[in-house]
Amino acid sequence: MSVLTPLLAYAGLVPLLTFLSFVLVGFLGNRLKGLEWGGWIAVLLSGAAMVVGTLVAVAEMLSPGQYTDVSYTWLTVPGSPGTFPNGVSLVIGFLVDPLSALMLLVVTIVGFLVMLYSIGYMHHDHGLPRYYAELSLFLTAMTGLVLADNLLEFFLFWELVGVCSYFLIGFYYEKPSAASAAKEAFLVTRVGDVLFLLGIFIYFATYATAGGGAGWAASGFKFANGTQPFLGPLVGTNTPLLTVAGLMILGGAAGKSAQFPLHVWLPDAMEGPTTVSALIHAATMVAAGVYLLAVTSVFLGFTPDDQFAIVAIGGITCFFAATMAVVNTDIKRVVAYSTISQLGYMVLAVGAGVTMVGMYHLFTHAFFKALLFLAAGSVIHAVGTQDLFKMGGLRRTMPLTAGAFLVGALSLSGIFPFAGFFSKDDILGSVFQAAQAHPAYWPFFLLALATVFLTSYYIFRAWFLAFGGPAPRDASLPTAHEGPWVMRVPLIVLSGFAIAAGFFVFDPAFASLLPGAGVPPTYTATDLGLSAVSLGLAGSGIALSYTLWGNGRIAAAPTGIAAQMRTVLLNRYYFKVGYDWIGRRAVYTVARSADFVERYVIDGTIRGFEKLFSRGSDLLRRAQTGIVSDYAGYVVAGLVGVLLLILYVGPAIVQSMGGG
Amino acid sequence: MVGILSLTLLTLLLTAVLTFLSGRYAKFVALAGSLVFLAEVGLMIADFTQWAGFGAGGVPQYNYSETYPWISLAWLHINYTVGVDGISLILVLLTAFLQLATVVYSWNESKSPALWFGLVALTGLGCFGVFVALDILLFFLFWEAVLIPMFFMIGYWGGPRRRYAALKFFVYTHVASIVMLVSLLALAFYSGASSFDFGSLYGPARTLMPATQVVLFLGMFFGFGVKFPIVPFHTWLPDAHVEAPTGGSVLLAGLLLKLGGYGLIRWAVELLPTGAHDLAPLLYLVAFTSIIWGALVALAQRDLKRMVAYSSINHMGIVLLAIAVGSSLGITAAVLLMFAHGVVSGLLFMVSGSVHHTFGTRDVSALGGITPRTPALATMVMLGALASLGLPALISFPAEFTALLATWDQLGYWVVVPLLLLVVTAAFYLWMMQRVLFGPPKGIPPTAHDLPRVELAGMAILAGLAIIFGVLPGLLVHVIVSSPISGWP
Amino acid sequence: MSAFSPAGLLALSGALLGLGLFGILTRRNFILLLISVEIAINAAVLNFVYFAAFSGSSSALSGQAIAVVLIGLAATEVAVGLAIVLGLNRLRGSINVAEASALRR
Repeated sequence: MSVLTPLLAYAGLVPLLTFLSFVLVGFLGNRLKGLEWGGWIAVLLSGAAMVVGTLVAVAEMLSPGQYTDVSYTWLTVPGSPGTFPNGVSLVIGFLVDPLSALMLLVVTIVGFLVMLYSIGYMHHDHGLPRYYAELSLFLTAMTGLVLADNLLEFFLFWELVGVCSYFLIGFYYEKPSAASAAKEAFLVTRVGDVLFLLGIFIYFATYATAGGGAGWAASGFKFANGTQPFLGPLVGTNTPLLTVAGLMILGGAAGKSAQFPLHVWLPDAMEGPTTVSALIHAATMVAAGVYLLAVTSVFLGFTPDDQFAIVAIGGITCFFAATMAVVNTDIKRVVAYSTISQLGYMVLAVGAGVTMVGMYHLFTHAFFKALLFLAAGSVIHAVGTQDLFKMGGLRRTMPLTAGAFLVGALSLSGIFPFAGFFSKDDILGSVFQAAQAHPAYWPFFLLALATVFLTSYYIFRAWFLAFGGPAPRDASLPTAHEGPWVMRVPLIVLSGFAIAAGFFVFDPAFASLLPGAGVPPTYTATDLGLSAVSLGLAGSGIALSYTLWGNGRIAAAPTGIAAQMRTVLLNRYYFKVGYDWIGRRAVYTVARSADFVERYVIDGTIRGFEKLFSRGSDLLRRAQTGIVSDYAGYVVAGLVGVLLLILYVGPAIVQSMGGG
Repeated sequence: MVGILSLTLLTLLLTAVLTFLSGRYAKFVALAGSLVFLAEVGLMIADFTQWAGFGAGGVPQYNYSETYPWISLAWLHINYTVGVDGISLILVLLTAFLQLATVVYSWNESKSPALWFGLVALTGLGCFGVFVALDILLFFLFWEAVLIPMFFMIGYWGGPRRRYAALKFFVYTHVASIVMLVSLLALAFYSGASSFDFGSLYGPARTLMPATQVVLFLGMFFGFGVKFPIVPFHTWLPDAHVEAPTGGSVLLAGLLLKLGGYGLIRWAVELLPTGAHDLAPLLYLVAFTSIIWGALVALAQRDLKRMVAYSSINHMGIVLLAIAVGSSLGITAAVLLMFAHGVVSGLLFMVSGSVHHTFGTRDVSALGGITPRTPALATMVMLGALASLGLPALISFPAEFTALLATWDQLGYWVVVPLLLLVVTAAFYLWMMQRVLFGPPKGIPPTAHDLPRVELAGMAILAGLAIIFGVLPGLLVHVIVSSPISGWP
Repeated sequence: MSAFSPAGLLALSGALLGLGLFGILTRRNFILLLISVEIAINAAVLNFVYFAAFSGSSSALSGQAIAVVLIGLAATEVAVGLAIVLGLNRLRGSINVAEASALRR
């Protein structure tokens, strides 16, 4: 207990404050030209949210545990024998536990800094009330997600952050590429969401009566509903249903965290403003997938098969994304690929059973990646292009930005003593250990190790191209200058975090936010050796990068097989082409043929009946001559017919049936 | 003493008659009538503390029920019996809101306004009657009464092929009505009850032989199913929607389709549980077909209204699926989804209508970038599309979630089919938004201006409902479960 | 009891009916048509009268009553029919029924 402990019951204030900001800016923004169209309101309220969020996190550090905020019953359906005998309750409530406190810290701090940065960065854009309102709504949804106390609520906010991301990627909606990227992001994550939903169904319906114990359904499927992990007795065995449920959760996480093979949308999401890329598509929302995996592993548990699948996806993704970053020429996309790659590391760690190590990396990554994006945004703001090959020599005109990007790059590369070093090294060490127990993890460990080299190479390639050399290669670029103070302050603060965040876990109070194996990292002889190897790899990556691109050099274009590989990488392994083919050709062709069948076969049959009746009645109508004598003739003919029937045909039938 | 249900019926009848007679003041009369209607429904819900429960012999009782002899023969009693439970009350609420929204939306109707608003009121009357009638003949009377105003709405105010569409709609649904009537009568006579009252049919009908139940259920399923509509008896719907005037489309999609779902629950599933159980595989098959077919065909549409019409088929397929599942969770989800679909498809049809008369076309590929010129309309398009594709915090999500959860519980991995089709639903709405709302402006006539105030008001009513009940679905569910399904086997 | 056997009378009334029907089916002149209808009706009247007498006793009276009603009916029918003939003649200047087919559509 500490003086701050009572605050834990009011964690719901955080989403409430940002929601207030959404409402105020959304409805009044158009009249607030003086306040940067409501931007300052958003900064103020997200600042307040940051204060509350930080206090909540501190309170949680001082007395770790699970604290529930108000819980509202969303809907209740009575049970019926056989299906949900105790009924189904779906609830919305807030739960503060160490993990969510950590996430709250990350989200509110980065959210506030990005909001502040936006005041400078977005100043010249149109539609600012929309921008600040949507960003506030995003923060509401994201903090709601972090505090969710059951899977359904998690999904609810999960979708809301998704739709905010959709709006913000498409912020420049008059640009067709932005509109298309927004749609792509929504659709690809939707595939993951559908899998996630199936996972929720399996957990809810199947484990409401078995394993978890009766009453789970009636009490709202809450995470904190007993000892952890919730499905404890079943974890560790490969129950088919539990495995499938875990895989579905992985599918959802892969969609949101842009893991292979649902990674295609994230690079395209860079069509949005850079601030959005920093907050949503680097520091917070895309990390929600990893958070989902962490929450699931803590409260529900994964089976060994699931864990292998998660390790595989994480290992493949981190290498695969890094290779694509190597050849890219767009400063934001290089950083975007590095995001996918780093998320791969986190997924790998969760899969290897060291959930908290993955969350540790999430924590440090949020700061240095936001830093990299905001620094890149500063560059784009200054020179108006994202093409690395047009830039150059910017360290002379933008020393602060160059320094910030350098700090970010060093941290990303995992150079001691920057934040990335500790967390990444911790992941490598933990996976190395896990692989000794599970030999099947080895290939993925090696991929992760190789990625260290690639990472430092591509991020320093970007740094050298943008900031190194004497002057911009494209002389037509405007003379660069640093942004206003609102843009410089976040860079400085984030640089501080990118340097120091790694050390936080060595404080026992902070480490209580990451209660689990591997945090804080221990340094045995093996670990130290591994650290040396990874530092060596990172260093050689930087060295190679300097040789090829340092001092304004431009490496010669590759030839032969290397050139072909470069084409493949630039085309992102043709994944986008393939998905486009599935969407535009395969599914659309099926839809077109369905439409054809609809129009000509189904409706055609109906119209056929219509024709049959109208033709038939046309034919019969000819008998109606309008001449009385003809009608009389029909009457007589009918009479004769009936008489014949009664007198001869009827008896004949009766006789033939043997009756009397 | 006249009960509140009869009073409401009287109000609606009076509204319809007065509206027909009041010439150019018709819209005011219709608005006043709709508001009174809404107030009466509000009173009913406010006073509805709990469902009347099961009476003697396990027969469900109904709130606010009234019964008066109507036609009394020695061997058959036909009564005027009305009453509500949670399920009907929710659909009555939907009726009141949609009638109001339609009146407000079509406030500026200039072609025979008295006739138009009178027909709107008459549709409300018919739907309300269907939802509260508890006697076969009374039910059928209202059921058929709904067809007439809709026939004239499509046939007089409709688009270029209105005669064809109106006739198709009428003949199609009428044939289904006859099959339904025959099945209902057969049910009454087979069960040996001496009355057409729901209450007196309940016990005998449920104990009918399984084979009889199956045959009767089949007939009713066809009769109610065409209204749903179920694939392959659905082709009247796109034609009717495309040709119908906007207000007609709203009522058609929002209310008329719900009659089928309500009828199936009240008169088929409740009375013939064994038949429903034995025919569940058929229902699943039809539901899956409708879900797949509706979504796929919608993906190929370029006409906004046709797209929404096919997505209705998809959504009503999920309703059918939830009914077929049959657990109390499933039926609750089905009713919630019907309410959700009524609100959302109403909104989407209003949006399509407004797009049509703002830009002169509904062709998705002929339009582009309408957002800067018409921000309010664009917002409504987006809200409607997002609600329809099941975004949480909007009304469809809790309904679809519970429906699919119930499906998983009963059918296991088959739930993957509707789940995957959710992606397709998202695909066509996202494609539509990308084309119509975003990108460089295209196909925008210089005279185009943003929504007239009344149209915006009409949409705002439905949008508000979508948000309120999306955030607080418990308000609806709380009422829905106050019905016989709370003790569902 | 009488000069005719039932078979003979049936043959006679059958012949009258046939004659009437033949007229109805072949004539196009409205007046001839009416005359044919009268002949056909009279075949029925003849039957009623004969069989009333033939069966004797109590039912005799009812047969004769129907015959009288039929005669009255025939008279009314002719009256209405002739009125139509006059109207038709005034309207079209012809009493050919084949030309009076306006109700067909």
